[in-house]
Amino acid sequence: MSTKDAMIEFRDVHKYYGDYHALRGITATIRPGEFFSLLGPSGCGKTTLLRTIAGFEGISSGAVLVDGRDMSGVPAHKRPTNMVFQSYAIFPHLSVEENVGFGLRKDPRSSADKARAVGEALEMVGLKGYCKRASHALSGGQRQRVALARALILKPKVLLLDEPLSALDKKMREQMQMELIKLQRQVGITFILVTHDQEEALVMSDRIAVMFEGEIAQLADPETLYRRPNSRKVPNFIGTMNFLPAKILQESARAVEVDVAGFGRVNVDAQQVMACASGESATVGFRPETLTVLFDPSAKSERESMATIEEVIYFGDMTYYDVRIDGTGTPVRISMSNVFGRQVLDIGARVRVGWSLGALVLFR
Amino acid sequence: MKVHALRSYTIAYLVFLYAPIILLPLFAFNDSKVIAFPLSGFTTTWFITMWKDQSLWTALKNSLVISISVAVFSTTFGLFASRAATRFEFPAKGAALGLIMLPLVLPEMIVAMSMLVVLLAIGVPLSIFTIILGHVLLCTPFSTAILTSAFQSLDQSLEEAAMDLGETPLSTVWLIVLPLVMPGIISSVLICFTISLDEFIMSYFLGGNEPVLSTYIFGQFRFPARVPAIMALGTILVCLSITLLAIAEYFRRRGIAKSGGKDTGGFL
Amino acid sequence: MLKHNGAGKRQSEAVSGWLLISPTFLYAGLLLAAPLVAVLFYSLTLKDVGGFSLDNFWEVWTKPIYQKLMGRSLNVSLSVTAVTVLLAYPVAYFVSFHVHPSKKSLWLFLITIPFWTSYLIRVFLWKVILGYNGVINSGLMSIGLIDAPLQAINYNVQAMVLTLAHAYAPFAILPIFVSLEKIDRSLLEAGRDLGENKFLTFWRVTLPLSMPGVIAAVLIVFIPTVGDYVTPDLIGGGKLPMIADMIEVMMLKQNDRHMGSAIAVTAMVIVAIVSLIFLFLNKQFLRGTK
Repeated sequence: MSTKDAMIEFRDVHKYYGDYHALRGITATIRPGEFFSLLGPSGCGKTTLLRTIAGFEGISSGAVLVDGRDMSGVPAHKRPTNMVFQSYAIFPHLSVEENVGFGLRKDPRSSADKARAVGEALEMVGLKGYCKRASHALSGGQRQRVALARALILKPKVLLLDEPLSALDKKMREQMQMELIKLQRQVGITFILVTHDQEEALVMSDRIAVMFEGEIAQLADPETLYRRPNSRKVPNFIGTMNFLPAKILQESARAVEVDVAGFGRVNVDAQQVMACASGESATVGFRPETLTVLFDPSAKSERESMATIEEVIYFGDMTYYDVRIDGTGTPVRISMSNVFGRQVLDIGARVRVGWSLGALVLFR
Repeated sequence: MKVHALRSYTIAYLVFLYAPIILLPLFAFNDSKVIAFPLSGFTTTWFITMWKDQSLWTALKNSLVISISVAVFSTTFGLFASRAATRFEFPAKGAALGLIMLPLVLPEMIVAMSMLVVLLAIGVPLSIFTIILGHVLLCTPFSTAILTSAFQSLDQSLEEAAMDLGETPLSTVWLIVLPLVMPGIISSVLICFTISLDEFIMSYFLGGNEPVLSTYIFGQFRFPARVPAIMALGTILVCLSITLLAIAEYFRRRGIAKSGGKDTGGFL
Repeated sequence: MLKHNGAGKRQSEAVSGWLLISPTFLYAGLLLAAPLVAVLFYSLTLKDVGGFSLDNFWEVWTKPIYQKLMGRSLNVSLSVTAVTVLLAYPVAYFVSFHVHPSKKSLWLFLITIPFWTSYLIRVFLWKVILGYNGVINSGLMSIGLIDAPLQAINYNVQAMVLTLAHAYAPFAILPIFVSLEKIDRSLLEAGRDLGENKFLTFWRVTLPLSMPGVIAAVLIVFIPTVGDYVTPDLIGGGKLPMIADMIEVMMLKQNDRHMGSAIAVTAMVIVAIVSLIFLFLNKQFLRGTK
């Protein structure tokens, strides 16, 4: 494979801890300059995979390549990657300046040049003038920035971020997400982020690998992941998806015709047809926002069904309605923006629900 | 009301703890050869008597040689054991650590006698050296315990971060691990030193005819006339150990402040 | 291409771990394990005759003199343990529950200071306090409360128990304090909330949760006092010999390593059995309160 468009390459990577199979044949490519996320629930192997890049975990078989070079046998301190740790790992006995300049110890530059580099790195992460601070006096957000400056000052080919925002509160986290995106664009280095927060991954990444139980379930850009998940597991982890059983009637190269309880006969475009896990029967899936409660009696929709409201969950800007479409067994969720002047409906109300064919994904 | 009773009880308990120690200076400065009430007047004679006793100085010199060696060796052994215990998984780890910590749960007399039997059997002459051997065995568990807690509070990702930033495993130990466990090392050295200085049974049985501070004191008790001078010596020792303890506490607190932790009190 | 191997990495970790622990382990093996094995060997062989036999143990266990000494040692150690732990528990409880967190280290500091003064001198001071012409007798006589020295307070088992209870006080307080500190305070509030009064909350929540500390305190006090040498000599005036004296007499004065070893091994077995009983009782107690 050409290494020009691969900054990181995993070739059938396996990792065993004793009998436990932590990584089960990971094969993937991460492009130069990309903001890449490894997303998955805890224990799915995402952190282990990140640590095989940094060199903190050996692999049982396969290969990890960084910038075209096989990393087997290369110890952590000789790899062209740097890491921001979940706990930040700020050296408590060193000042901010000493922390940021830690990796420059063997750098042949003069100490004045190094001090300038430290100053620039701190300025880049918005900590100008913090040089002499004691590191234990920093707040969580500031520690995060010091850890970033400390890793970026070495100009690594890849920056590895192990759940870097999980220890911050919601507001700080959202602010740091934006700053990280800007920083990545500014330095142009490949960022690899490990996170269990689907929203964070969607907001920040160019591409996301969703991992379950040591395997990559899907690797795609955020929109594809959201709109065309390739299995039922993925949309269960990223956002919410409604599922209704479907019966396959006819299939051609371009579309599959199915009978969906409550929706009737529909044609699903071949692009929207995904394989489901063995043992599962065919289902159609659709996101809550692709259905609409038709408040206005004159409103039209591509397709519509009648339904009864079973539960109302009010969020302020949004309302979730759990409705039972006539002829179905399980309720489905609809999310509606709350428009000024429009009343929130009550449980038991009969409503018209509008939907469109393009929103359906068929798992078969 | 109940809290009040508890508080009074605790204060009474402290009086019980301190009662003997308060008597030390009282009789050290009392102008009488007999340790009894009523007190008969102020004198510093006993301090001068003590100071002029040549055998005390010999014992003290021996004791210092022993305690300093023991502090250094026990802490070194403790460093090896505690680092292995906190950083690595290996078969029979529990058994190995169990053997190392065993002296904590064996009556000292039995450890001393077992060593003595073997030393005599293989013909090692009893000396300061054999005392050191015994004391190191006794102090290593304390050192291991102190240093294990120091290593445990060391976040492993700090070491990984240092290696990630280009340091070798060895330079990581030097630049990150040792500075951060230094407070633990210092308190281990101080505690091993104190235990060794105070230890009697091993010094008595494994030392042959070499006097050390504790056996010197024990010997003096046989002569009632020497007792007031021992009170004077005791007074000085109490002042010294409080100073040492305060230093140890200072380093412990500085260690906590450095790593940004909270003071949970008590360093044993 | 180099291949990493999971098992290989674990093996290298095991090797590093063993290499690192080996200096300390070898030291303990050479100077502790080997002598203990030697003592066990001596105890199982006969003086002059040689050959394996249980005769030494038979003698230790059946001769009245040994039985009496063992009994006294065990009696003193158990009394010291009981007195020390019972006296220490309220102190640990007070410091943990009723002292402001910022003052706790100061209190612990105050409790540990006496412990850091010479053990020998502390024991001797009790002799001075309790002796026939000691501080208490001379003090009481000088203020006219008594005419002749009290004899009930010196050179007896009670005096030894008091002295040892003083010497081991911090060893008992610290583990109990640590276990009390670990108790989540909201559990006690939950206990009160569920309708228990203060005493029952203590009995059903605080005490069981602090039991590991109490057991640690019991073992830390019991084990060393069994082999104590200084106190019987100084406080008991040599008139109340215990196990340690007996081992010394056999090993050094009568030069009978075999009998001395048999006594030492017996002492170790007794210590081990009593410790196991305490650990077992702790388990039973914890189960009983559930």
